[in-house]
Amino acid sequence: MSVKKPAPKFLNLLVIKLPPSGIVSIAHRVSGVLMFVSIPVIAYLFALSLESQQGFQQVRAWLASPPALVLTVLLVWSFSHHLLAGIRHLLLDIDVGVERSQARASAWVVNLGALLLTAVYLFVGVL
Amino acid sequence: MTRTAQGLRAWLLQRFTAIFLGVYLVYALLRLSLAAPLDYPQWRAWLAEPWTGVGTALFLMALVVHGWVGIRDVLIDYVHPVWMRLLLMAATGLVLLVSLLWIVRALLLAAR
Repeated sequence: MSVKKPAPKFLNLLVIKLPPSGIVSIAHRVSGVLMFVSIPVIAYLFALSLESQQGFQQVRAWLASPPALVLTVLLVWSFSHHLLAGIRHLLLDIDVGVERSQARASAWVVNLGALLLTAVYLFVGVL
Repeated sequence: MTRTAQGLRAWLLQRFTAIFLGVYLVYALLRLSLAAPLDYPQWRAWLAEPWTGVGTALFLMALVVHGWVGIRDVLIDYVHPVWMRLLLMAATGLVLLVSLLWIVRALLLAAR
């Protein structure tokens, strides 16, 4: 065993470093909350798009506007991360990948995979 | 039900709903992007199909449960004054149920 570093005496956010699994954990929450707060907006847009031809066109126009694109990309990241982190979580529940090195690797896969999926959406869907 | 069993129930519900939400949302997003409804009649026709209706209804119920358990967990962790936590939990439930009913109403109107 190597020499132990002294444990941090306080939680200075500039000094402590969050491990990849810690990033998965907080991003899982952030993405969940982001999707939750967008539920009423999506419900409104969904209902409007179904209501009439004009409503459908209106929603289409809104979704094509720059602010909506930014929000959509944010939601795509949220769903990607939440889904990947959720799958990792379910696997950990049934004792798959509990080993420290594996859990660390899967955390990287989740964090980078979500960014990759978002990038794919940006290039294929928007540009 | 005892307190521990309640926790276990929420834990189980969160996982079962997660699986359904994940599978259905991935299916719906793929379906929508690979064969996008280009105009209003196509969009309406897809949502009026019985299987889409059943899938969407199940999806919404799972979403309400999953969103409730998830947001409740977040509120319990970060919001400590009891009155504020209860207020936010009530708001959470209200947002979920109003959104659910709004979507169901739109689906029923479209299926006429």
